[in-house]
Amino acid sequence: MRPSLWQKLDHLQPLLTGMLLVLGLMTVYSAHADWLRQIVWVILGAGAYAAMTAFDYRRLPALAPWLYAGMLVLLLAVRLLGHSALGAQRWLSVGGFPLQPSELSKLVLVLVLAAYLSRVERLGWRAFLGALGLGAPVAALILTQPDLGTTIVVVAVLVGMLFLAGARIAQLGSLAVIAVVVLPLLPHLLHGYQRRRLEIFLNPGSDPLGAGYNLLQARIAVGAGGLFGQGWLHGLQGALGFVPERATDFVFAVYAEQFGLLGSVLLLALFGALLTRLLHAAAVAPDRFGALVAGGVFVMIFAQVVENVGMNIGLLPIAGIPLPLISYGGSATVTTLTALGLVQSMMVRRPLLQHRERTTWSGNISVRAQA
Amino acid sequence: MAAAAIVILMIGVLSLKLTQLQMFDSATLAGLARSNTIHRVVLEADRGIIYDRHGVPLVQNTPLWNLQVVPADLPKDWRDRATELATLATLTGQPEDHLETSLAVADQFAPVRLGPNLTDGQVLAINERLPALAGASLTHRGVRTYVEPLTFGHVIGYVGPLDDADLKRLRPRGYQPDELVGKVGVEAGLESVLRGTDGWADVEVDARGQIVRTITMQPPVSGQAVYLTIDASLQRATAQALVAGLQRDHKTAGASVVLDPQSGEVLAMVSLPGYDTNLFTHGISQADYNRLVMDPDRPLLNRAIAGQYAPGSTFKMVTATAGLQEGKITPQTMLSCPSYLSYGGWVYHNWASYNLGSMNVAKALAVSCDTFFYQVAAMVGDVTLARYARAFGFGQTKNIELPGVEPGLVPDRIWKQLQCGVPDLNSDACRWTLGDTITFGIGQSALLTTPLNQAVYVAALANGGSVMQPTLVHMVRDASGRVTATQQREVVNHVPASPDNLQAVREGMREEINRPYNMNYWFRAAGVPADGGGKTGTAQWGGSGLDLPTHAWFVFFAPYTQPDVAMSIFVERGELSEVEAAPIGVDIMRFFNGNRGAIHATTPPAPA
Repeated sequence: MRPSLWQKLDHLQPLLTGMLLVLGLMTVYSAHADWLRQIVWVILGAGAYAAMTAFDYRRLPALAPWLYAGMLVLLLAVRLLGHSALGAQRWLSVGGFPLQPSELSKLVLVLVLAAYLSRVERLGWRAFLGALGLGAPVAALILTQPDLGTTIVVVAVLVGMLFLAGARIAQLGSLAVIAVVVLPLLPHLLHGYQRRRLEIFLNPGSDPLGAGYNLLQARIAVGAGGLFGQGWLHGLQGALGFVPERATDFVFAVYAEQFGLLGSVLLLALFGALLTRLLHAAAVAPDRFGALVAGGVFVMIFAQVVENVGMNIGLLPIAGIPLPLISYGGSATVTTLTALGLVQSMMVRRPLLQHRERTTWSGNISVRAQA
Repeated sequence: MAAAAIVILMIGVLSLKLTQLQMFDSATLAGLARSNTIHRVVLEADRGIIYDRHGVPLVQNTPLWNLQVVPADLPKDWRDRATELATLATLTGQPEDHLETSLAVADQFAPVRLGPNLTDGQVLAINERLPALAGASLTHRGVRTYVEPLTFGHVIGYVGPLDDADLKRLRPRGYQPDELVGKVGVEAGLESVLRGTDGWADVEVDARGQIVRTITMQPPVSGQAVYLTIDASLQRATAQALVAGLQRDHKTAGASVVLDPQSGEVLAMVSLPGYDTNLFTHGISQADYNRLVMDPDRPLLNRAIAGQYAPGSTFKMVTATAGLQEGKITPQTMLSCPSYLSYGGWVYHNWASYNLGSMNVAKALAVSCDTFFYQVAAMVGDVTLARYARAFGFGQTKNIELPGVEPGLVPDRIWKQLQCGVPDLNSDACRWTLGDTITFGIGQSALLTTPLNQAVYVAALANGGSVMQPTLVHMVRDASGRVTATQQREVVNHVPASPDNLQAVREGMREEINRPYNMNYWFRAAGVPADGGGKTGTAQWGGSGLDLPTHAWFVFFAPYTQPDVAMSIFVERGELSEVEAAPIGVDIMRFFNGNRGAIHATTPPAPA
């Protein structure tokens, strides 16, 4: 019997996504951000999700070069035409809407790398360097915007996908060597405020009212939440504006103040479940491209959640990055939902055979046999 | 499975950190959150107003505007912060680096006052731009503005910032370091009554420092209103008379105390030169302060209570009372008044270089014969004389509602011994001599008194021997208008003298002001009936000898029967008391006679 579309649909993934979106809208509302506009973004994102689900993902590899070229053009356009906010030039105005190409570029990079890496059976040094060659200009353009947070995500996506594509220890080791060489130079490459953020992370009390303010206030808000939280719309720190960037970068602190430890762990569990669904999708993917797309989307969301929550609670240095599905912001919301829609598109187009449901990967995704 | 393990690891690590923050550090961080959002605002209580006996305000609380900044509420971005600081510096007219320093050293979460006093123009300019200035607000507090400080200043005093000693003393009573406290005068003497109780409000503020709502509030309680015994118009008349008298004779300093001899109420108290007490409330400049401190006329000294001078001949009523009461003389006893007398090989002169003949005690007071009183003092003896002096209140610190009251000095044998480093019973420098006794008898020796003591003394002669407790406070009312204290008439001491003997002394005082061609001239010239008793005194000071500088005194009471006013007039470096001090008293009396009923009436002021 041919399985219906409904049966093939990953029901859990949109459910989890929807729950996260609801929590996100509640938090954005409580943070006095423009929540009506965020609803518009969510609706647009849902449309993109549906469109991507309907769209046959297998046509994407052919589009990949065009997407890549378009992305580079957009990033360059930002440098030339974009307007700046908060000391960085990240925004393009598209039909009156501010567009942040670096958000889109994360997903485009996933698709481009998936297309490129799915063509090679074994990841030789040549293919490895080729992938790095695709990623490097993107990372460089975004880093110099400057947007450290997105750069971190881009680099994570690059390394993560190389790993999923079966990079050898030696190859990943060489990346580590490069990192060891480049990292000490980083302070010289970083902008002043980025360097200060790093210093503040290492010693948050050094400047409680200056640059360390964000970190301190975010931690205060999280801590004030306690076990059960202050209750929705009862978070003082967030509502009164002590938490900076309360609807975007520090939205987690605003959430944690209102919903407490229980709410925070629930949020992490929802993200964990969603990420597990993406891993599952990668495992059951009918082809190497699909598996790499699902894996790339996994890395993209994983990196953002870790970095965003980590910086909100003082575990990681501050790098401006939205919390997927929660933070206010059109580009990020639409990008994330588009990515999830693409994974869904792959799910509904997989041949539903029981024995293939078994997850047979260990570490690297073992989908080569199926391809 | 590795990727799934990474997801679980991520959730685990983040959850652990979250547990630390939201479970174990929660109380601390929640406390920080409260101090973030809940600010305690002090609601300053108004200080009590000081009125004269009829309810005329002698000080006002005028609002003084301050720009107040909570450093923690300034913009977080250093560029915005620098812009705002520059704006604040321009608006308050302060150098920017000065502003930055004062903000840097302050408590970051407590309001810092910038610009001690803003002009109306500055207040308007700041108010206009306030919505754009994060963390800044305008506050005002009541600052004392004293009415006619040159006239009332020495009585009212002023308030000023707490110094270290004040802070140590007053901190237990809840004083804040930036509070103002009464420094001198009634402001200091009645500090505990005048000071209100500050209230407070816990207000919720947003990150920009704007008040969102008030959570709890304790309203401030205003300080109590003090009604003085001073009559403002008599005080003005007294000051004018004193100023005019000093100018007439090219003198620069003097004092006068006018009492109700029946109640001990101070009706006027003036010390000249005065100074602008308002300089102090707004934070006195170093130049102004130096000028006041270096001024040789010592304007900061309230001579009425703290200036100690020899009483000279005004003391003769004590010697007379002692001689009469001790039976050494009677009102009829005639003693000679030669131009000099010799005691112990020293010659002691009368003011007149010729013999004035023999006279009774009243005449001796009237002509102020020194040699007459040398004899009486020698008969009475120094010990008894000192006892009578003390009975009249000499050498006693008057318990009036002002700080810094000086007692004066009644010398005696022990005092003189103590003046020597090594007591020596044989040295005249240490030993009380007969010469000391007889000069004591005319108010010299080492005798010192104050204008206040003199007024109490003449009041006691006037009222039949009751040494009154002088007081400046008629009544105290709290903020609701309830009377919390009224002054009770208090007799400190009864002079141990019979009415007849005191009558004989008073008779001498009446004679003095009624002698033709003498002081009576001033009364007639001013159209003031010489109904009362007075005594002048020109006291030498600055050592011993014949040509010493002098101070001029005049003590006076009126009317002769049932006196209702007693006063002392003091002219520093006055050379001739009959000419320099007495006319001032006559001037004051002229005003008093014209306003007697109004001055004594204490129309109870309506509750504020």
